[in-house]
Amino acid sequence: MYERILVPTDGSRVANAAVDHAIDLADKYGAEVHALFVADVEAVNYSLGTEQVDRIRQGNFQGMSELREDAEEATGYVKQQAEALGLQAVERHAGGRPHSVIAEYAAENDTDLIVMGSHGRSGVRRALLGSVTERTLRSTHVPVLVIDYERIEE
Amino acid sequence: MLIGLLSATPVVAQSEELLPEGLDISFKLIPGVTVVGMMLLFLGVGYLYKVANTGDMWVAGRSIGNVENGMAIGANWMSAASYLGMAAVIALSGVYGLAYVVGWTTGYFILLIFMAAQMRRFGKYTAPDFVGDRFNSDAARALAAVTTFLIGFVYALGQARGMGLVGMYVLGDITAVVPLGGLSAYQAMMTLFMLITIGYLALSGMLGATKNMVLQYTILIVAFLAGLLVTGWSAGYSTVLPQIEYGMLINDLSAEFSDPFAGGSYYLWIATCFSLVFGTCGLPHVLVRFYTVQNERVARWSCTWGLFFICLLYLSAPAFAAFGTALYGDQIGAVYGDPGMTGAAGDVIVVLATQLAGLPTWLVGLVAAGGIAAAVATTAGLFIAASSAISHDIYANIINEDATQRQQVLVGRLSIIAIGVLTIIFALDPQQPIAALVGFAFSLAAIVLFPMFFLGLWWENANRQGALAGMVSGLVLWFIPMLNEGNFGLVNGGDGWGIELLTTWMPAIGSALVATPLVLAIMIVVSIVTDEPPERTKMMVRQCHSPDPMPKDKTAADIVAEKTHKTPPADD
Repeated sequence: MYERILVPTDGSRVANAAVDHAIDLADKYGAEVHALFVADVEAVNYSLGTEQVDRIRQGNFQGMSELREDAEEATGYVKQQAEALGLQAVERHAGGRPHSVIAEYAAENDTDLIVMGSHGRSGVRRALLGSVTERTLRSTHVPVLVIDYERIEE
Repeated sequence: MLIGLLSATPVVAQSEELLPEGLDISFKLIPGVTVVGMMLLFLGVGYLYKVANTGDMWVAGRSIGNVENGMAIGANWMSAASYLGMAAVIALSGVYGLAYVVGWTTGYFILLIFMAAQMRRFGKYTAPDFVGDRFNSDAARALAAVTTFLIGFVYALGQARGMGLVGMYVLGDITAVVPLGGLSAYQAMMTLFMLITIGYLALSGMLGATKNMVLQYTILIVAFLAGLLVTGWSAGYSTVLPQIEYGMLINDLSAEFSDPFAGGSYYLWIATCFSLVFGTCGLPHVLVRFYTVQNERVARWSCTWGLFFICLLYLSAPAFAAFGTALYGDQIGAVYGDPGMTGAAGDVIVVLATQLAGLPTWLVGLVAAGGIAAAVATTAGLFIAASSAISHDIYANIINEDATQRQQVLVGRLSIIAIGVLTIIFALDPQQPIAALVGFAFSLAAIVLFPMFFLGLWWENANRQGALAGMVSGLVLWFIPMLNEGNFGLVNGGDGWGIELLTTWMPAIGSALVATPLVLAIMIVVSIVTDEPPERTKMMVRQCHSPDPMPKDKTAADIVAEKTHKTPPADD
């Protein structure tokens, strides 16, 4: 049923919580795990400066050491978990608006399932910080499994 | 001296209401459309080149060339201070104003020789990043971030004043149509354009930065040079090379314009020049481009091209000032003496000159729109530098190390709103002309940040204690003359302490001449008497000067980590 499972991750605890679910499913179905890190261009603009946005565009990602380390750490965690169980893992680092990159990647790579974490925010916090997961739901036709981080805490 | 000259003008006109005499303040349709059109064009071109999703960041894209980089440097640099303020200070204070032309170009030489390539090799994102990593200290990072924020704020005050004054030419006195709670025409216009700037920033986040800046530069320089050429031509002062031909006017202009040091003492000239030269090397929004270029060769050539593109404007500003002064003298009244030209009129001399030369409204509007666009574009750059100082350097690096990207966006947006509101409040009643306000930001950069960059890159024994002592004393040294002269209106209701000795020898606009060497000395002495920095840091400094070419995808820290066969330890 599931041959390719996509796990978008930013390396946060919320994202890593979803990784366990994804790996477990992949193990059951013998699926390939795709770990995708998306550098949010808007975040890069506000936190690193407009010039750095151009740098991503130019493909000079190698020179952006801190962002690169974040990306490698995030997808590396998924790969490590997958390979511990002898599963195939693919790492990918991309830039842009996270939800649209995730949807694009899922469409291009014949993904069967997207597994991602959510903060389970509501009210003002949701309005301010938004939800990548929610926006992904609206931009893709691939089934999405949402792991609510708050629930796990309980 | 500059400050003296301004206080000789009626104080009431200065503090109660900023109203440039002689400027035609009324609503004008075509110039209004030009301003809006220019902003839309910036957004439109930015949108065309907007950052598409990059599916795989390891695949190399097209790189940005030297000339393009140079134009982007020019656009980022050319603010209301260059476009309006420089001609203004030359018109008001004559030869004293040349300190700006000399200072702002010489600064690029120092940058080119001592810092551009080395900065690229060190390979960091922001100025506070560099300071934090070079001196292994979060406290140093925070101080540099606060300074970056403060520089953005002070610099933006000058831009806000420029937007408000020129805006009055374009849109007239909007308070006559909609009373805005007792705001003056200038205040209403300044607030309006600052709000537009913040809106522009919100829209421009995803846009292709460099392409957009190349376009901005082209439009600004065309507006400025066309204004100058046509003004000189139609007033009969010059033909095709006003930058040189204005020399023939010198004998006809008042002695205040052409006599050396009539508008400011020799010492003040040197002090201002010094501040501007070294401030240029410490300005975060200027340096930011050098961290991102492909390699150090591109860094050097971008700097050279940037200087060339900036010079196109700077060689023309004195001519514009001369024409403006002559036209003002002919049509409005004596430029110097009592009452003389006010600071407000001086700050719009570029627009005023084209208007007084009897040029059609659309052309005057083009020059005015260029001034506003220059202010908006540079303010946007400054605000982004300030927001990255807060969201990246203070929030993500110190307060919440696990910050998500969305949280950083939120903090970034909040800090932009904060700096915008602060700027609007303090720019309601600016006590100084544009050039002076921006000059204060340069003093701050020269005193606090330049020593960190310079010693940080060139002296491996400069350590954390030295940097902290240097930055703290630098901030104090910058504030003393600022408050003494009553800036920010915080002391004695804006009169300041008025200590004569300080005003003469450590004027706020040129305080770096005294303070920068002091900060350098403090940093050196403290570094010598305390422990040397760790070997890894020293190796990073050496790597910045190594004769071996460095691979473009590596920073000095990567190379050092490879050499020592271990990953760099986390910052403390």
